This record gives sequence, structure tokens and C-alpha cells, in this order.
Amino acid sequence: MPDNISFTIDGQEVTGKPGQTVLQAAMDSGLYIPYLCYFPKMKPYGACRACVVQTEMGERKSIVASCTTPIAPGLVVDSKTEQVTDLRRGIIELLMAEHPHGCLTCHRVELCGPQDICQRHVSVTDRCTICPKNERCELKDTVRSVELDLRTPLNYHRRNLPIHTDDPFYDRDYNLCIVCARCVRVCEEVRFDNAITLTNRSGVALVGTSRGESLLESGCEFCGACIDVCPTGALVERDYKWEKAARQVTTICTNCPVGCQMVAEVNRFNKVVRFIGDLAGESNNGQACWKGKFAYDYPNHKSRLKYPYVREGGILKRVTWEQALDRIAAGFGDRDGSKVAVIASPRGSNEDNYVAQKFARSVLKTDNVDTALNLTPRVASTLQKRFGSAGSTNPIWDLEGSKCVMVVSGNPTEEQNVLAVPLKKAARAGAHVIVIDPRETELTRYASDWIRPKPGTEHILLVGMARTIIDEALEHKEYVSSRCSGIDELKRSLWKFDLSAVSRVTGVEDTIIREVARNFAKKAPASILFGVDTVPVDLHGALTDAILNLSLITGNVGVKSGGVFPLYAGANTLGSLDAGCSPMAERGTDLTVEPGLNGATPPPMRDGVADLFAGMRSGEIEAAIVMADGMNPGAGPLGDAASALRSLDFLVVSAVFDDEVTAAADVVLPASTYTEQTGTLTNLERRVQLIRTAWTPRNEERSGWQTFASLARRMEAEGFDFQDSGGVFEELASVVPGYAGLSHDRLEAGGIQTPCPSSDSPGAAMLHAEEPDDDAGRLAIVPLPFIGAAAPSSDLVLAPGRVLSQPDKPVQVTRRGDMNYLHRVEVVKVHEEDAKAMSLMEGDAVEALDDHGSRLAVGVASLGSPQPGLISVTTLFAEVALGMHDADSPDPSPRIPGLPLQPVRLVKAADLAAYAVSSD
Amino acid sequence: MATTKAELGDSIRERVRCALKQQPQPTVTVLSSLLAVQDAIHYLPDEAIEETAGFCKASVNEVWSVASFYTNFRFTPPGAHVIEVCWGPSCHLAGAQGVLAAVQQELNLFREGETDDRRATLRYNTCLGACALAPVISIDHHLKGRITAGDAKDLAGGLLVD
Repeated sequence: MPDNISFTIDGQEVTGKPGQTVLQAAMDSGLYIPYLCYFPKMKPYGACRACVVQTEMGERKSIVASCTTPIAPGLVVDSKTEQVTDLRRGIIELLMAEHPHGCLTCHRVELCGPQDICQRHVSVTDRCTICPKNERCELKDTVRSVELDLRTPLNYHRRNLPIHTDDPFYDRDYNLCIVCARCVRVCEEVRFDNAITLTNRSGVALVGTSRGESLLESGCEFCGACIDVCPTGALVERDYKWEKAARQVTTICTNCPVGCQMVAEVNRFNKVVRFIGDLAGESNNGQACWKGKFAYDYPNHKSRLKYPYVREGGILKRVTWEQALDRIAAGFGDRDGSKVAVIASPRGSNEDNYVAQKFARSVLKTDNVDTALNLTPRVASTLQKRFGSAGSTNPIWDLEGSKCVMVVSGNPTEEQNVLAVPLKKAARAGAHVIVIDPRETELTRYASDWIRPKPGTEHILLVGMARTIIDEALEHKEYVSSRCSGIDELKRSLWKFDLSAVSRVTGVEDTIIREVARNFAKKAPASILFGVDTVPVDLHGALTDAILNLSLITGNVGVKSGGVFPLYAGANTLGSLDAGCSPMAERGTDLTVEPGLNGATPPPMRDGVADLFAGMRSGEIEAAIVMADGMNPGAGPLGDAASALRSLDFLVVSAVFDDEVTAAADVVLPASTYTEQTGTLTNLERRVQLIRTAWTPRNEERSGWQTFASLARRMEAEGFDFQDSGGVFEELASVVPGYAGLSHDRLEAGGIQTPCPSSDSPGAAMLHAEEPDDDAGRLAIVPLPFIGAAAPSSDLVLAPGRVLSQPDKPVQVTRRGDMNYLHRVEVVKVHEEDAKAMSLMEGDAVEALDDHGSRLAVGVASLGSPQPGLISVTTLFAEVALGMHDADSPDPSPRIPGLPLQPVRLVKAADLAAYAVSSD
Repeated sequence: MATTKAELGDSIRERVRCALKQQPQPTVTVLSSLLAVQDAIHYLPDEAIEETAGFCKASVNEVWSVASFYTNFRFTPPGAHVIEVCWGPSCHLAGAQGVLAAVQQELNLFREGETDDRRATLRYNTCLGACALAPVISIDHHLKGRITAGDAKDLAGGLLVD
């Protein structure tokens, strides 16, 4: 590393890192230079010139923008000379000529309170009260800092631009825009969407979209990054637009396993009014997504459950907690351990999940405990067994340095949105992106190779790639010989994977498989993101094994910017596994308090939460406690969860809202949300992060661990006398090896990645970074059997795709009420063989119907599906965003549909005119 | 069967695609693509923005930012004939204002644009490069110099009838 550079700013000695600009170095050392267009973690732009300083280097004196001037040893910077401050004032004055500034010049600025009615000392268009960011605007602070002469009236030219309020989530008032282009740049260089741009030029240049079209068409992913960087009131969240924050609480988003660190703004009525990506967050680097930005406010909702209820005569009756606990204790009575289950919340903290499983195992004497979104237990257990952790081997932001990224059967741009941000960055920097997925997702646009195998044969394709790598001796021999074991067994097992056979089974040409394998092997470091969205449950383990093998033989495990990233569903899937909240936790460890079976052999463990629900349907499980926060009770991957729960004999539900699940419950308990508790979540990169209390529960809501602990105490169990969630975490840390060095106090400063075995350990950013000392520490490469390829069904399978924009396909924006909606005829891609079989012509109107006859897709048939039996449709992401915007549910994000493959029937539609986009 | 608007749209799309593909120069950019389209069909329809985006692997918004930056790109079909009136300094001193007023009156226009019947397009020009012949107008890219208001009126009027 080159040495730090020291130079002076305003006579003060400052040191900065090489490559930094003057402004960055000043900010790092706590000196303030006014700036507007610069924003941390974005490239300097040098547009606004508010950051001008005088620099002196030897004889040369010049006035430059500090945001674009690199630091150099001996540089003398002066930000306060008269010349510089005059210049700066002039620049800001020009800027303010098109920005209303009653908030600065009105003589009542200091007299009016934030909620006061305007005393009309300023013209209507210039009043402070017309700006949603009044009192919380960055521009105002910057202008004040340059001490503009505000006594002589400044000019203000109102541009009279229309205010855009017809797209989901955002309000855009470009009358307040100062064209600093922060929003355009964050969209382009951080999110890579280019959904907004600078239009026109010179005096009328403005931020906008192509031809002024709606954000629905322009390719917006509604991540809200543009709002977070806007220094003015031009871009704001529509909800709680006028609300002022009374305080800020740093917390973690509970919508997906990325675990973005967010700043929650809470108003004086204890409502969370804004969610802003925290620049200090190590897992998200200030980014967020549509769910994080706009689905945070369910704790505010007035329909929340406030008190416990017990069902009597079919009606839920309000009771006290004591009465409810009595009822639960009686309801469980001495039911056999194999007949009860505990379903924990996917949003539940480690503390909640730890106490949930402790309750299940030591009080109910059952291993039937899992979180509602632990849908891929085989992926987790395979990773746990082979790599020692079910999390990713590398940190999320390592991805930005990858030279090759392979994404298998997953849709991270939607399900784990911020994980895709560094991936897209790598792609833009030239990384080779391989997507293996029959569905068209947003990432396929970035893909150099997009392979669409027959669904359910992904693992065979991957082993075929391994075969090519071995055949052509492309494996990383040095790495394999020093760090791995079992390569010979793998080689032997690969004999069965003759590429022509692989090609026949997967439906992908062998030349393509070879090409992709070469690309993957030759570009290092390479990382793999894998989900199992299109893979049948019984092949989850095989797919994971194939992926880990591929990563090992190419020498990518324990290497910076390499590694594997499992794409889980729930926000705390990894944490709940660590806390033992899974039927698959290893028996005999400290976690699994041996169920009191009086020496009898324990019953075989159930296979994850899906199996628990199957048990409910079949009647093997009679009673259950369900933590319903964040659970999708509708027809999701668990089948119809609500109907399974209805079939139970006794059901206890701890919920935030009254819904299908509480309707089936015998006892309903009010649950507290993430705003009302302190706890930890473990994200998919193994980072344990702290959720912080924003307010204490208003009524009788209790968090997961409180609920289970009070129930356990009522049922006279010992070991549940926790004082607070910190105490629970202490016990958890003493039991779970990787958590031993962690405590709430330590996590206060920021998340730490497990394993963290001692209080002085910084945590492990990367797993298996060290070469093993002995053979036992070697990473095993396992031989792979040629299994799978589930019997080819005669049904057609619909592979729904979703992308941000398809400019070449006509789309119509219609208005309903005040909002824009999309209307479009889809293109239904059908394979030639299938088309021939049903005598379908290109351009025919078709409908895809599911088993129940409900319509999944309608559109114009087009030949070009890659596999016989596969039908694909690609819809626009904006439809999902609109769906969430319009949702009736107060907590819509868990119910957002993914992109599951579905068996369908294809029928010719009688008349497409009803769906047609009229050409006018 | 009458041509529907959708079919017409497709034919424009085809023409745009042809123009994009037939660019002779080795370096293809958003700007060169837009120029190629405008050369081929004399304006940039919506389809041009969309097709150029696909062709250059850019978003429609990036293409729009380029297209809207340059004043020479136009987004509506031009009239059958284009009349440009120079209002550069030389022409201005030689009486371009009168010429312009005469043309506008004849075409019944108050600013740049097309006549209602789309027979003529009026554009201002900051210099047609023939100051020695000021005042100058150009009709369908043919220069006419030393023009008087009366000549201009006649010429402009001539565009409205064939």
C-alpha cells in the first residue's frame, strides 16, 4: 500500500489516502467544504461547483472544484479566502434563482414552528410549506453555510413544471430540482438501471425519463436510491411525505436475507415514517430496494392486533395474557411430541428463534420446529456439512470484484435485491455473467451466457460442466492438491456424465456446455449465486453438491471475490438455523436438548417446514404454535398454508394482523414488530446485525422470545427467566459456537460476521481463507451420482419471467384514478414441437391455464422456447411494484409472488381483442 | 384492407432497424445511430428511441438524453419542404427580420415548426455560411441569397402549392 498523503486545508494538517479527492479527505477528517453534487460512494461529478477551493502547489495557484481534485503531498488548500467565498456565493445565488427559497429569506423562518400555517409573507410558489423536505433539506443547510447575503431579495423564476404523482411510491416535483444529477448518477453508476436521465440541455436541462414516460415503462426498479441522495424536496417518498422525524433509529430491514442496515426515521407520534439505506451498513453500502424502502411501515397500521384473544364458541374474545397462556397450556396439555409443531417467524430474531426452539425441545419435547420460510433445508444442510456454515463463503460486496459470476436458478434482483447490486457492478466492469435458468430474469440482460436447461436438470448441467473442466484439465490443480480431498472419487463418478448424455437430458447442446465450462474455469475469481427456484425439492442437495464441487475444483472457495452465495428466502433463515430453530439441527449438540423420551429412540426428524405442513394436512400434527409475522399464508411454496393450519386441532397464532391464519386460530397473541424490540438477525453473508427498539410496545404486544418464555414459565419449565433480549443472546452465544464472541453491546458498533469465537475476534469475513493444517481440515469434493431428471411429464411447464423493461414490446400506460397502470399483450414463447402438436401458429392468441383453470398468462404465441414442454412469458417488474403499491394487506411484502414454475395447459384464446393494446 | 396504425408502426420499426444496421463506420454509438435514423427517415419516432436502445444495449432513457440534447434531432415528421431562414449577424443587419416576418406570415406560423397541412417546415438558422449573399434563406437545402421580403413571401407561398 502506498503511504498516506499529508497536505493542508485552511492551515490544518490533513492526511488522506492516495486516490482521494480534496473533498473526500476533508470529509474524512471532519472538515466541512460546502458541496451539492458530490455524494459519498459515488464518482465525483464536478457539476455544481459549490465546493470550489483555492489550491496552491509550489508556484501554481488555482481555483478548482475540490470534489474532482486529487490530493497530493504538500498541496495547500484554502477554502475560506475571500475570493473563494465570493465565487461560491455567486454560484449558489445562480442555483437559487430557480429554486424557491422562502425557507431561507422569509423573516419568519425563526419564528414559525414546523407545523405552523404560513403567515403569507412570501408568495405562494416560494413558501417553505410547499416543500415536503422543509426543515430536513440538505440544500438549505448548504446555502446557509456559505452565508449568502439574504437581505437583498434574490431572484426566483418558477418553472411551472407539472408535479408527477401518478407512479407508485414516489412524488417528483422538478420545480424544486437543482439538476445536481445525483439521482441520475446513482441510478446509472450504482444501480445500473438508467431509469432516469438528464433531458434537454443548457437552461432547460432537467431530470426526467425518455419522452417523459411513466416510471413504469422506463425500467425503474423502485429502489428509492434516487430519493435517498436527493438534496432537495424534488424527489420524496409519497407516504408520510410531510412528516418530520423526531429521531432516527438504526435498524435492519427484515424483508430478505441481505439484511440491509437502514436508518428508520420516527416521528413524534412514534410512527416510523421513512426508511433510508444507511451508508455505514456493511451489507448494503447505503442501498435498499423497493421492499426495504416502501414496505417498512406495517408497524404503524391501525389494524394491528393489540391484545390476546381466545376463541370461545367460534368467536375470538379478548382476554388477558394470563388467561391466554392458561388456555395454551391446557390446549397442549400432554400431547405427544410428535404431534405438535412450532413454526417460527421468518422475520424472527435469533433470540426469538432460539427461545422458540428451546421451548419446543424442552417443553413440548419435539423437534418439530422451523421458520416458515426455511424452504430449502437441503441446501442449508449440505452447505453446513461441507463448508461448516450454511451462509455464503464470502461477503456480499466481494462480488463487485468477481471476474465471473454464475447465477443458478435464482432471481436475486427481486428476492435478494441488494445482493445483485455488486453483481451488476461486476458485470459492468466486464465480468463474465453466466445465468442458468429457464426463466428470463433481470440478470439475463447482463448475462454473457444464458443457459436454459430443462427444469430439474440444472444439477446435471453443472456436473457436465465439471466433467468438461476435468476433461480439459482446466481445474485449479495446485488449489485442489493443497486444500481439497476426494478429487479422484469425483473423477471416477464423472465417467457417467458423458457430455452427449448430459446434453440429451438437459436439452442444452454439448458445445455450449463446454464453452460455458471453459468460461467459468478460466475467469478467476469466480463466484456462484444459487437458488433452487426451478429445482424440485428432492434435487436441492444434488444441486448444492454440484455447485460446491464446481467452485472447489476451480479453486474459488476461500478466495477474495470468489465463493458461493446461497439465495435463501427468509430474512433470518441462516440465524434461525444457527440458533437451532430447525428440525434438522444435529442431535446431541448443546442446542438439541434431548427430548424426554425415556430412553426410547426419538422419531425421525421431519424434513423442514414443508414437511411440517404436510404433517398438518395428513393429521399427524394436531397442534401448533405459529408466529405469523412475515409469513405468506396464501398459496405459496408451502402449498395452501392457511388450509393446513385450519385442519389442526389446536392452533396458537402470534400475529401482527388479523388474517387467514388468525381466522383459524384458537388463541391469538399480539406480536410486536421489528420496531418494538431489540434483537439480532444473521444475514446470508453470516453477518449478525442488531435491530434496535424504536418505541416500546403501545399495548400488550410481545416479541417471539417473550411469548415463548412466558408460556414456558406458565408451563413450569425451567431456564426461561430471561431479563431482556440481551440476556437471551448471552445464552445463545454460550451455546452456538460461532457466536461465542458476540454480544449486543459489541454489535452496537456494527454487524460482525460469524464464526466469531471470542470477544477479541473480528469475525470471519471469508470462510476457508487459510490453507488447512492437516488432512482433516481439507474441503471434501464429493462424488456425484447421475440422479434426478424427474420422469418427463407430459404437461407443459410455464416459466414466468420478469424484467425491468422491454423497450421493443409495445406497452400502454392507462390511467385509473390518479395512478398509472400498465396494459400489455404478452408474448407467450412456445417450442416448435409443442406448437406443431397443437397446430399453433405464430401470432395466435393463447391462454395458459393452471390445474384449477385460472389464467396465468395470456398473449400472442411466438415460437422460440428453448425446450420442448417449456412455455415462457416475460412480464414487467412494474406490475409487481404496482401490486405492492395497491395491496389491501397492511403488510404486503411477504405476499409478493415469486416466479415459480407451474404446470399449465395451453389453450387457444377465442378473442385477443379484449386484451389488445389499442394503437391510439 | 386498410393499413392499421400498428402495421404502419411495424414498417417504421423495420426502416429504423435497417438504418441502424447499415451504418458504415466502424464505431457505432448512440449518437451515430440516431443520426443514421434521422438521415433515413428524417425524424426520430418513438420506435427509433426504442430500437436504438436495444441496438446499443443502452436504456431508452440514455438514448433520450442524447437525442434531446441536440437541437438538430426532431421527433415529429418534417413537412414536405423545409425552409430555413438565417438570422445570423450578417443577415440580421441585411434585413433578415423582415424576411422572417414575411415567411411566417405566408406560412401562418408564429415560431419554428410545420404548417397545419404539413407541406412546409420553418426553421431558424444561426448561419447558413453565405454571409456575402445576406440575407439568405434555404429551401430544401438550396441556398437563395440577396433575398427580399417579397421574394421570400413568394418562395414560401410556392411551397404550399405544388
